[in-house]
Amino acid sequence: MRGPSRRIAQAAVTLVGAAVLVWSLQLLAPGDPARRVLVANGVGNPTPTQVAALRAELGLDEPAPVRLGRWLLAAATGDLGRSWRSGAPVAAELADRLPATLRLAAVALALALIAQHRRADLAARGLVFLGAAVPSFVVGTLLLEVVVVRLGIGRVLADGSWGGAVLPAVPLALAAAAVWARVLRAAMLEVRARRHVQVARARGAGRLRVLLVHVLPGASPPLFTAIGMTVGSLLAGAAVVETIFTWPGVGPYLVEAIVARDVPVVQGTVLLGVLAHVVANTLADLAAAAVDPGRAR
Amino acid sequence: MSRRAELWTGAAVLVLLAVAALAVPLLGPDPDATDYANRLAAPSPSHPLGTDQAGRDVLARAAAGVPTSLGAAVVVTAVSAAVGLLVGVTAAVAGGWVDTVLSRVVDVVLAVPQLVLALAVVGVLGPGLTNLVVAMALAGWAPLARYARTFAAGLLHRPYVVAAELAGVARPVAALRHVVPATAGGVAAVATLGLGEVVLGLAGLSFLGLGVAPPTAEWGQMVAESTTVAGQAPWLVVVPGALIVLSVAGASLLGDALAREAP
Repeated sequence: MRGPSRRIAQAAVTLVGAAVLVWSLQLLAPGDPARRVLVANGVGNPTPTQVAALRAELGLDEPAPVRLGRWLLAAATGDLGRSWRSGAPVAAELADRLPATLRLAAVALALALIAQHRRADLAARGLVFLGAAVPSFVVGTLLLEVVVVRLGIGRVLADGSWGGAVLPAVPLALAAAAVWARVLRAAMLEVRARRHVQVARARGAGRLRVLLVHVLPGASPPLFTAIGMTVGSLLAGAAVVETIFTWPGVGPYLVEAIVARDVPVVQGTVLLGVLAHVVANTLADLAAAAVDPGRAR
Repeated sequence: MSRRAELWTGAAVLVLLAVAALAVPLLGPDPDATDYANRLAAPSPSHPLGTDQAGRDVLARAAAGVPTSLGAAVVVTAVSAAVGLLVGVTAAVAGGWVDTVLSRVVDVVLAVPQLVLALAVVGVLGPGLTNLVVAMALAGWAPLARYARTFAAGLLHRPYVVAAELAGVARPVAALRHVVPATAGGVAAVATLGLGEVVLGLAGLSFLGLGVAPPTAEWGQMVAESTTVAGQAPWLVVVPGALIVLSVAGASLLGDALAREAP
C-alpha cells in the first residue's frame, strides 16, 4: 500500500486505538459507577439493592474487555449506548444537537480563513497575540455583554440558526486564526526565500503570480495541517463558547454530562470529537500531499 | 526584542505574579470574606480593583487565583514534561518493541485533541481542581514524549554518547548520564512554550465549573461567576482576563527564548 490508501488505513487504526483509550478512561474512576450515577442523580445514600439493580441494568457486572468489545462493535454501527440520566440513545441526542454545532464550526472556520487575508504584518501579529492569549470565554462574555445586551443586536438566547452563529463564532475563529496566521506567516517567509521564487521574481513575474503560483502551494501544507488540528479541538472550544451563548449544540450537552457523570454521553461525544479530529487530519495530510507531492512521501 | 530581553521579560512577568500571590494576602483583606452591603463596588482606595457580586475584594481574589490558575498550570506542565521525558528517552534508548509500543501509545493519545481528552478524563473522575490537573497532565505528556524521543534518538549517534558506550558504559547508564540531561533542556523549553495553552485550558475548564469548588478563587471561575453582572462591573471580567493574558504572554516569551537557546 502506498500514498492515500496507506494514510487512510493508518487513520483507521488510530481511530480504533483512540476509541479504546476513550472507553478505558472510565476504569480510572474510583468507586462503583452505579453508585456514582445514583448520587449524581440525587439519591443521597443509595442502598446496596438500588446499586445492584442499577449495575445489572447498565450491564456493569460483565468483565471490562467484554464491555469494551461490545461498545466498540455497537459504536461502529452508530449505536453509542443510552444516557445514564435520560435513558435515551446517545446517538439520537447527539444527532439533535450536532447541526447547531456544525453551523457554528463552519462559520468559525470561514471567519478564521477570512482573517488570514491581510497585508499588514503588524496587524497580523497583533491578531496572533490577541487570539493566542485572550481566553475565548473572556472574548465571548464581553461580546455578549457589549453587542447583545448594550447594542441590542442579536438575541440573548441563541436559536442555533446560521444568522445567530456569527457572534458566537468570533471567539472560536479568533483562537483558530491566531494559530493559522502564525503557521502561514512562518511558511510564507520560508518559501519566499527559496531559490525558485527568487528566480521567478527575477524573470519579472508579477506579485500576484508569484504569490499564487510560486509561494502559496509551497506554503499551504503547514496551513492544512494547522486547519486539521483546529477542527478536532473545536469541540472543546465549542463547550466553552456554546455555554456562554446558550447555543443549542453538543458543547453544553457534554458539560452537563460531565457534571452528572453520565459516562456513555461523555464517551459518545468525545468519540465524535476524535472522529472529526482524525478525519480532518487525514484530509489535511492528503490535501498537503496533493498540493506539494514532494513533501508527503 | 532581543532573545535576552524576551527571556528576562517573560521570567519577570511570571515571577511578579508569584510575588503578588505571596504579598497581597499579607496586605489586603481575606479573599473569601463577603460583604453584601458593598457588592459590585467600583475600584476605590479601599478596594483597588473593586468588589465582586458577594462584596469580596477583587485584588485579593485575583492574587489568591495565582496558585489555582498559574500554579496549577505549572504543575501540569512539570508533570507532563517529566513523563514525556521519561517515555521519550526510554523509547529512543531501548528501541525495538519497546519503542514500537510506546510510540503507538503516544500516537493514540495524540489522536485525541488535548482539551477534549481532558474533558473526557474529568467526565469520569468528576470535577475538581486535582482531577482537572490530572486530566490536563494525562493529555499533555504525549506531544512532549514524541519530541523527547526524536531529540534523544538524534543524540544516540553523537560521538560523545558512542564513545561512552565504546568505553564500556552500560547503555542505560550512558542514557541516564548523557542523553537525559541534554534532552531535558529541550523538553523544558517546549513544555514552557505550551504553558500558556495549559493556563488557557485550565481556565476554560474552570470557567465551565469543572475546576475549583466555590468559594476558592480561580481566574476562569471568577469570570464565570460574574457573567451576569459583566455590564455593571466589567472589572470582574477584565481583571482575571488580564491576568490570564499576562501569564500566557509571559510563558510564551520565556518559552520562545528558551526554545531558541536549546540546541
